[in-house]
Amino acid sequence: MSRRIVPYFLLGPGTVWLLIFFVVPLFYMAELSLWSGTVGSFEFSWHWANYSEALELYDSQFVRSFVYAGTATVLSLLLAYPLAYTIAFKAGRWRNLLLFAVIAPFFTTYLIRTIAWETILSDESPVTEFLHAIGLAPSGHVLATSGAVIAGLTYNYLPFMILPLYASLDRIDVRLIEAAKDLYSSATQSFLRVTLPLSAPGIVAGTLLTFIPAVGDYVNAQFLGGVGNRMIGNVIQSLYLSQSDYPSAAALSFVLMALIMIVVVIYIRFAGSEALMGEEAR
Amino acid sequence: MRIRKPGRTAARLAIALLVLAAVLLTACGGGGIGGGSSSGGEAEKVRLEGKPSGSLTISNWPLYIDKGTVPAFEKATGVSVKYIEDINSNEEFFSKMQPLLQEGESGGRSIFVLADYEVVKMHNLGYLQEFDKSALPEFEKHLTASLKSPPFDPNRDWTAPWQSGMTGIIVNKELAPEVRSICDLFDPKYKGKVDFLNEVRETVPLVMKCEGVDPSKATEADWMKAIEKIKGAAESGQIRRFTGNDYARDLTSGDAVAVIGWSGDAVQLQADNPNLEWRMPTEGCMLWSEDMVIPVGAPNPTAAEAWIDFVYEPEVQANIAEYVNYVTPVEGVKPILAKRDPELAENQLIFPSASFTKNCSSTPPLEGEEEQKVIKAFDAVLNG
Repeated sequence: MSRRIVPYFLLGPGTVWLLIFFVVPLFYMAELSLWSGTVGSFEFSWHWANYSEALELYDSQFVRSFVYAGTATVLSLLLAYPLAYTIAFKAGRWRNLLLFAVIAPFFTTYLIRTIAWETILSDESPVTEFLHAIGLAPSGHVLATSGAVIAGLTYNYLPFMILPLYASLDRIDVRLIEAAKDLYSSATQSFLRVTLPLSAPGIVAGTLLTFIPAVGDYVNAQFLGGVGNRMIGNVIQSLYLSQSDYPSAAALSFVLMALIMIVVVIYIRFAGSEALMGEEAR
Repeated sequence: MRIRKPGRTAARLAIALLVLAAVLLTACGGGGIGGGSSSGGEAEKVRLEGKPSGSLTISNWPLYIDKGTVPAFEKATGVSVKYIEDINSNEEFFSKMQPLLQEGESGGRSIFVLADYEVVKMHNLGYLQEFDKSALPEFEKHLTASLKSPPFDPNRDWTAPWQSGMTGIIVNKELAPEVRSICDLFDPKYKGKVDFLNEVRETVPLVMKCEGVDPSKATEADWMKAIEKIKGAAESGQIRRFTGNDYARDLTSGDAVAVIGWSGDAVQLQADNPNLEWRMPTEGCMLWSEDMVIPVGAPNPTAAEAWIDFVYEPEVQANIAEYVNYVTPVEGVKPILAKRDPELAENQLIFPSASFTKNCSSTPPLEGEEEQKVIKAFDAVLNG
C-alpha cells in the first residue's frame, strides 16, 4: 500500500509548485486575454477579437520570430555537433576542461553577455571591419541587423544544444562503431548509419531546448536588433509595458504558445518520439 | 519489475488537482488586473499627521539626484528615506503599478516622479492624492512663475515639478557638424547613423515641427502623417534604432552621430566626450516637466510633503541642479550657482532664456481614442 503512495509524494512538491506558479497564472492570463476596454475600464466580455487582431497586426513579427529562431537552431546544431562529437570521442583528458568551457558562460548573466555583444559588433570594432572587408557586411554595420540578432540567439542558446548532444554521443557504445568498421563500412558510412542515428535523441532534445526559448526571446532583438528586427517577445513586452494593453498582450502570448506547440508536435511526429525518449520509449 | 500503475489513479490525481485549482482560484477572488472597483470620482486629499517622522519611500529615475540631498533631508527631519531609482519609462512604470493603484495601494511608495502626461492620466483614473498646501510653504514661495499654473493643474494642487528639460538633438560635432534641425536627421548622408527616441509624445511632435505643423494644434491626420514619415525613414534604414536613454551608448561608440535626445543627458555626456553637443533644433525643441506626485494609499504622506517642500529650498535645489543639469523649477537657484560655478549659471540648457526656447512647444494633449490610435501606429513603427 505505502509503496503505491510513494510516487505521489514524490510528485507532490513539483505538482503544487507548477499548479500555483504555472496553471493558476495561465488561467488568469486566459481570462485576461478576453477582456476589452482600456486601462481603468477593463471588463471581461469574451472579447475574442483580441486573438484575431493579434494575428492580423503582428503576423510579420510571428514569422520573423520563427525564422530567426529556426535559423539560430540550425546554426547551433551545425556548430554544436562537431564540438560535442570531439568532446565525447576525441578529447581524452581534456574532456572535463572542454565541458567546463561550454558551461562557463553561464557564470555571467545572459543580459551582460548580450550587452557585451553590442560592443563586439559596434560599427568601429575590428570584428565589423573584418566582416565588411570580406563582404559579409556590405552596409558597414552588423549591429542593429537581423544577422546580429540571429548570431546573438545562436550564441546564447548554444550550450543548450551542446549538452544534450554530448550526453547522447557519450552514451554510444564504441563497440558498435568498431563493429561497423569490422564489417567494412567507411568512416562516413559508420557515422551516417551508426553514430548519427544513435545521437538522434540528443539532436531532438537540443533543437527543442534551443528553438522554444529562442522564439519567445526578446533580449537579443532588444540589444542587437535595430529597426525591423523586433521579435514577437518585444511586441508582447511593449503591449504590456508601454501600451498597457494587457488583454492583447495576453492573447498574443497564447497565440505564441499555441504556434510553438503546433510546431513542436509536428516536429516530434516527424522526428519520432523514440528519438526524443531514446531506447526507453520502446 | 514494474511499479507503474497507469490509468485510474492518474485520472483521480488529475481530478483532485483540478478541484484544488478551482478552490485556489475562488480563494484568490476575481481580482486580476484593471476592471473591478474603480476609485474614480473625487480625489483623495493628503491628511497630515503632526511632524514628519518614520520612513519614506520615493521612486525616481536613475541619476536624477545628487548624493547629498537624501542624507541632508534625513538629518533635517529625522525621517528615514528609501530612495529607489526604479523608473525607466513612464509607461512601463505605470503599467507595473496600475494593478496595485487600482486596489488603492502604492507598492509602499509615497512619491513617484513622472512626466506631465503620465500624471494627468493617473489623476483622471483617481490614482493620486491632492496636497495639503499648509505643509508646503517653500513650494508655494519658490516655484518658478512659468510653471505655476499649467492647464492640467492650474493651482498645482496635486503635482510638484521635479525637473524640466528640453528634447532636441544631440550631435557628434566632428562626425555630423551640419545637423542643426530635425529635418537634417532625414539627410541620407547619415543613413544608419541616426537614433530616434521611442517616446511618441516627443519624437512625433518634433517631426511635425520639421513638417511645419504646430504640435499644439495638430489633428489626428498630422500625427499620422508624421508617423508615416518616421516609418519611411525606419524602413529605408535611415534610422538605426529607437532608443531611450541608451542612445548614450550609440553616441559614445560612434554607432550613431546624431540622435533625438534630452538636454540634461548632453551635459553629462559632454564630460566623457567633448565632441557631443546638444543643439536646439532650428524648428525649436519640445519642453517637458516631470512631477512629484503622491499616489493613493501612500504611506506617511506627511513625510512625503516634507520631502517636496525640502527640495524646494533653493540651497537644496542648487545641489540637485548642479548635479543633474536639467532645468530647475525652483526660483532663486541661479544666484546660488553663480557664486559656486559662474559657467554653470550661464548654461542655456540649465537656465534657458525666453529667447532661447521661443520656438519650443510643450507636450501636446493626446487623449482618449486618438491617443490609442496614435500610440498603436507609433508602436507598429517601433516593432517594424
